[in-house]
Amino acid sequence: MAQREHRITSSARILDAAARYRRQKKALEALEQDNFHDEPHADLVMSKKVPKFQESNEKGPTKKKKQRSSEYFKLKFRKAINTLIEEEQLENVEGPNYSTAGAPPSKLPPRSFCTVCGFPSSYNCIPCGGKYCSLKCLKTHQDTRCLKWTA
Amino acid sequence: MPKLILDNGGYSIKAGFSTAEKPRLIPNCISKARSERRRPFIGDQIDDCRDTSGLFFILPFQKGYMVNADTQKTIWDYCFGKDVLDVTPTETDIVITEPHFNFKTLQEAVCELLFEEYEFRSLCRTSSSTSADYYYSITEGIQKKTSCTLVVDCGYSFTHIVPYVNGVKVTESVRRIDVGGKALTNHLKEIISYRQLHVLDETYLINQVKEDVCYVSTDFSQDVEVSKKKLSENNTIVREYVLPDYSSIRRGYIRKLEETGKRAKDNEQILRLNNERFTVPELLFHPSDVGIPQMGISEAIVTVIESFPEPIKHHFYDNIVLIGGTSCFPGFKERILHDVRRDASIYADTNVFLPTNPTFYAWEGAKKFSQDAEFSKYTVSRNTYNEKGLNAFAKICDI
Repeated sequence: MAQREHRITSSARILDAAARYRRQKKALEALEQDNFHDEPHADLVMSKKVPKFQESNEKGPTKKKKQRSSEYFKLKFRKAINTLIEEEQLENVEGPNYSTAGAPPSKLPPRSFCTVCGFPSSYNCIPCGGKYCSLKCLKTHQDTRCLKWTA
Repeated sequence: MPKLILDNGGYSIKAGFSTAEKPRLIPNCISKARSERRRPFIGDQIDDCRDTSGLFFILPFQKGYMVNADTQKTIWDYCFGKDVLDVTPTETDIVITEPHFNFKTLQEAVCELLFEEYEFRSLCRTSSSTSADYYYSITEGIQKKTSCTLVVDCGYSFTHIVPYVNGVKVTESVRRIDVGGKALTNHLKEIISYRQLHVLDETYLINQVKEDVCYVSTDFSQDVEVSKKKLSENNTIVREYVLPDYSSIRRGYIRKLEETGKRAKDNEQILRLNNERFTVPELLFHPSDVGIPQMGISEAIVTVIESFPEPIKHHFYDNIVLIGGTSCFPGFKERILHDVRRDASIYADTNVFLPTNPTFYAWEGAKKFSQDAEFSKYTVSRNTYNEKGLNAFAKICDI
């Protein structure tokens, strides 16, 4: 018995709570992501003088106001959403604000679904904590996901 | 003089004059295609693009808030321009929607853009749920003689549950769930990429797949049992989706039921969707399934209503209004009705109202509001803004 336990612990690296939390967080961030690939036009060298078709007709004397460049708005207003949330928390502690409006955790018990096939599952993978429902799915999980995409 | 109504959503802009029957629906993004190297597509220009594989998106919104004002300006330039609405800002009053709890800097950004860049004559700032509440109260609500409405705005970036009493938002009780259409599309993309085909780059396509095949289950455990069956054992859930190849098939579609399970034709590429069809929208009702530590829509609706005193609760249960694009899923309304009825602590008439077009409902409400006799009280002219700045909105705007 002792020998068997020893074998399990030595053969499989077990992720600790912090690593599992990091993985979870990464998965949640992926749900917010807009693009998963690089910009297709990134390698293009655009000449700045490419004519815009809308402008050509109305370049008359009517333009009295100097247009602010997009740089202006970038500098003035472009802020990461997380900075904004933090700033607001400092300023408006009492609320109601963005942070106080978030729905609280559910009172219902969590459900678990197999990470491989998506059906309800009852087992947890020992090394990574991922859920699986059958030996077949566990095999797939070990071959593909388990400890394979840790940052 | 017609007013310009601009429902500025994280996924799409609903814009049109108050004289128009319907708004124009413009995706609120700039997309870049692999096939068209020269030109970025602004808003609905993407309809001109023949090959929409691997689109790259630049969005003005992040988590539902307009953090990239410069991108937003590019898209608005197009919307207000000659090709689309042909607006003369200096002679136009504008109504715009903003998200709840919009950050102060972003409120300033909107005002500065509209007043100082475009020089609109006057501005009315509202939110999509406030417009929806107004529209509901002058149509359905008036028949029911009620003054309490619970608006559930289920959009692209998040879902808000907003109670209104006599047309006034109860700010302390507003709740937000961080699941919307975007999270669902990304989740579906992730599942399909793991189980079948790598589609992480194909947001545009998978969004179409989601709209075409996903539905909200009204009996989850029953649907799980059915989807576990094989096709030959009468699995009524599985569907096959033919992917576009952008030459002979321009847009994907669901394969006919009698062909399902047969071999694909040579030119077809097929996705098979089984439990994905209902487990993906299920996130709206159980965000904890993917580890988001929040309650689902139904539970949150009940929690918000139960925080009110007894006599008011009845009115809220009777007037639940669903708006926003994500509420278009088949079965969404039935599921909410079912869950709320089950969980309500009191015996109350429960009524869930889903407009014929949940995406446009807020725009239509804002349009009706702009024709209201009291409307001018809620606007701020450019001169007043120049004097007082953002404070001019302090009493008349509930953002």
